[in-house]
Amino acid sequence: MSDQQNPAPPVPPDPQAAPEATAPAAPEAKAAPAAPHSQGPSRGHSGPGGPRREGFSGPRRDSGPRPSGPGAPRRGKRQYFRKKKVCRFCVERIDFIDYKKGDMLMAFVQDRGKILPRRMTGTCSRHQRWLGEAIKRARNIALMPFATEL
Amino acid sequence: MPEMQVMEDRIYDLIFICRPATPEEEINKIVATLEHSAGEHGGKIEKTERWGTRRLAYRVAKHREGFYVYMVVRATQGDIIKELERRLKVSDAVIKYQTIRLDEELKRQQKLVHRRERRAARRPRKPVAAPSSPPQQAPPPVEQPAQSD
Repeated sequence: MSDQQNPAPPVPPDPQAAPEATAPAAPEAKAAPAAPHSQGPSRGHSGPGGPRREGFSGPRRDSGPRPSGPGAPRRGKRQYFRKKKVCRFCVERIDFIDYKKGDMLMAFVQDRGKILPRRMTGTCSRHQRWLGEAIKRARNIALMPFATEL
Repeated sequence: MPEMQVMEDRIYDLIFICRPATPEEEINKIVATLEHSAGEHGGKIEKTERWGTRRLAYRVAKHREGFYVYMVVRATQGDIIKELERRLKVSDAVIKYQTIRLDEELKRQQKLVHRRERRAARRPRKPVAAPSSPPQQAPPPVEQPAQSD
């Protein structure tokens, strides 16, 4: 009878009240993973629930510096937040990005000829806009390629 | 009464590419034609640079190299550019050309430089403290009243 109702009771706490304890214990064990507000599951008898709880707080130990901003890592995905980059143009106080200087512009372009995003180069938004304009002008006059074949 | 509008000078960057095997006389002829044309329309070519034969980033008119010529044009009206480009389009030796208006950008650049200089002049410069010099703002240690009894 009790076997049909409760096929696998996890751990019977009291041998004396075994048939009574198994009935509330089984639904409690079943309800434990579903209802996280119960305090019991991580302690005593919930074997399958324990490691799951501990593993849930794992990723917190990876992110030492709490990043907030564009480079914040997402849990489970690779971290692309590296050291804080500074806008090269702001540091050098360049107010005009010349499209004729192909060598300088090449640093902001991938191998395939695509413009690198701001988060890779650390450029500020204003200079990224000017940079994009300069690269497009250079492309028009064949100083830079539109696309290169790898 | 018609208002006198201040015609500000417009500055253009004009780059054109000639076929690589073009003889120098022909390039000189093109440059002279452009200068003449600009003068007729009230403009002036301030600078001409010949960058020589350079490798092109992609094929233009089945050529992989081209002879670059760079000019700076100053004018009060924009119609002059139409005329210059028309001449370039008609010419056989020129395979590509591009005109960019730069006076607004140069104005913005000067404004930023000016603003930066003004800000630097307004800010009181702190004296650079050398590491070996003693701190000047350290309060003297012996000023406590000894009559604490």
